[in-house]
Amino acid sequence: MLEIKNLHAVVEGEELEILKGVNLTVDKGEIHAIMGPNGSGKSTLSKVVSGHPEYEVTEGTILFEGEDITEMDADERAHLGLFLAFQYPVEVPGITNKTLLREAYNTIARANEREELDPLEFEDYLISKLEIIEMKDEFLNRSINTGFSGGEKKKNEIFQMAVLNPRLSFLDETDSGLDIDALKVVSDGVNKIASPENAIVMITHYQRLLNYIKPDFVHVMMNGKIVKSGNISLAEELEANGYDKMQKELA
Amino acid sequence: MSSVSTKELIHSYVQLPGVLCENFIELRSQAKENLDNCAFPTKKDEEWRFTDLKSITSNKFETVETSVAQADLELDEYHLAEAMNSRLVFIDGNFSPTHSAIEGMPDGVIVGNINDFPDHELLRSHLGTITNYEDDVFVSLNDVNFQDGTFIYVPKETVIEQPIHILNVFTNRNNPHFVTPRVLFVGEMYSKATIIEEHIGLSDNVYLNVPVNEFRLYNGAHVHHARIQRDSKNASHISRPVAMLDAYAEYHSYTICLGSKLFRNEPRVIQNAEEVDFTVDGLVLIDGEQIADTHSIMDHRFSHGNSHQLHKVVVNDQAHSIFNGKIFVAKDAQKIDSFQENRNLLISDTGKVNTKPQLEIFADDVRCSHGATIGQLQDEEVFYLQSRGLTEQKSRELLVYAFALESVESMAVKSVEELLLKEVIAYTNRD
Repeated sequence: MLEIKNLHAVVEGEELEILKGVNLTVDKGEIHAIMGPNGSGKSTLSKVVSGHPEYEVTEGTILFEGEDITEMDADERAHLGLFLAFQYPVEVPGITNKTLLREAYNTIARANEREELDPLEFEDYLISKLEIIEMKDEFLNRSINTGFSGGEKKKNEIFQMAVLNPRLSFLDETDSGLDIDALKVVSDGVNKIASPENAIVMITHYQRLLNYIKPDFVHVMMNGKIVKSGNISLAEELEANGYDKMQKELA
Repeated sequence: MSSVSTKELIHSYVQLPGVLCENFIELRSQAKENLDNCAFPTKKDEEWRFTDLKSITSNKFETVETSVAQADLELDEYHLAEAMNSRLVFIDGNFSPTHSAIEGMPDGVIVGNINDFPDHELLRSHLGTITNYEDDVFVSLNDVNFQDGTFIYVPKETVIEQPIHILNVFTNRNNPHFVTPRVLFVGEMYSKATIIEEHIGLSDNVYLNVPVNEFRLYNGAHVHHARIQRDSKNASHISRPVAMLDAYAEYHSYTICLGSKLFRNEPRVIQNAEEVDFTVDGLVLIDGEQIADTHSIMDHRFSHGNSHQLHKVVVNDQAHSIFNGKIFVAKDAQKIDSFQENRNLLISDTGKVNTKPQLEIFADDVRCSHGATIGQLQDEEVFYLQSRGLTEQKSRELLVYAFALESVESMAVKSVEELLLKEVIAYTNRD
């Protein structure tokens, strides 16, 4: 589904490389976790894959379902079925969740020659997805993330994911700042969305999230590269020994 | 400050058509006297520092002959669904009975053309008494020249349910022309009305539009007043809308500026007794080389008043927005609660914004605050929407719309909201 080959990237207009040759393959039905210390480039990887204009790819390719998406705009990638749950969801006063999601859903439907939903159909569809994150109807008519608590913002990301039904989702530090109750709701939501037809890549600093969402693969990212891959035991090892020990071993 | 040439210019505007000048003769002769002694302001005047009147002083404008309203002009597309039986239409300043429709008004209500009520006591006692622009050249030009105009009277405890639509249209005349729309509104005790005043240029021709509005609200009268300025992009529009409020009166005004090359709006609200509530909101969407200048005064002369002003501006291309919002609180006007905010969104690198909040408070027990911000669309916001599948264009459009929308939520009339939505989309979608 996703094939990242030797990906190098810089902040647009700067020289310092943040990604220094990332290789990653994700197939459908899989859940991956990318772990790493602060500044390792893991959040950058999720932004580069979703097409953030702040970054420039200097080398390598990103293939999605065999198609080269390295130079595509973020919206075109979304049309193909890519989704990014933001680490810091953006507040957009004046636009309701409902307005954004209807526009997004129908734009993606049009791009894929699927049928659009009229306002009434869409309302029903949205309400059917609300239970995934245990939110009430009022949630739909609130301005996007405006005045939301940290937990509500993260729930909203997962709600958007449920509604847009992407094929591949990057969850960027979705666990950070969540108390235990919110973490449970969010991870239950992700588990309900996960299916043999889609794939999920979780970006996280801590092993905590992996207690709730079980990854098939765990990767460790350091200094702009994936330095080690394995299964859940790799995460346990990191939790027990910390990143420093692994860094020394690899050096 | 004055020169011979500007004086001659001013006099060239004064072309009394003779026949109708018998009406309101005192008002007109005073104004004429004032015009003998004043000139157009220049950038040397503090209040006009940022606004150049070249577009006015470099053209010769002609007054439009009366009684030439074009009966066959097709204006259906400008009708508002809520005001199908409560509409007054003025074409190039002339009242058009065929385009207007006033039906089913409550007993005692007057909605009509000023010129049809030359001897009405209310007109005689109110017209020209509410404006407080001192020796303002533009008010005087309107006083001298206006013929047709809007006269609305709402009797005691009377509610007009449907909004009254005052539609000023400007046709594509060959020569630059000069129009002086006039409104007198009188609301008696505990009356209620909604007024939608619209200015539409049907073409991109040059004209000068100088409206003067006088709103007199007696005890407990409530008025919602929307002003939509969609003049020709080559027109100049200089407005003097003023409202005077007695106790318990509420006046909520909302001005949308979309058109004209030069827009200078000077809304003033005068608190004439204790316990009033008013709003002077505005939304400005400009591009190209448009200049939109708002100089407002919220004038608290008595105690216990609430006032609120949210002035929002979006600037594209080389357009230029100017805002000077004054809040006056007189010496013994205590317990005033006044809030003013000017928020500007610059969506080009070459747009310009000058903003100056100005509080002049002589009382000691008041709460007055103000704020001004100038910002751009945040890349992170655009990316967030784009990552959800919206095109960059659509994302920017939604963000500008959201910025604009906040101020329109108070607009009670649905088709005005829809009109604004269309205008915002057109504004953000132009090539």
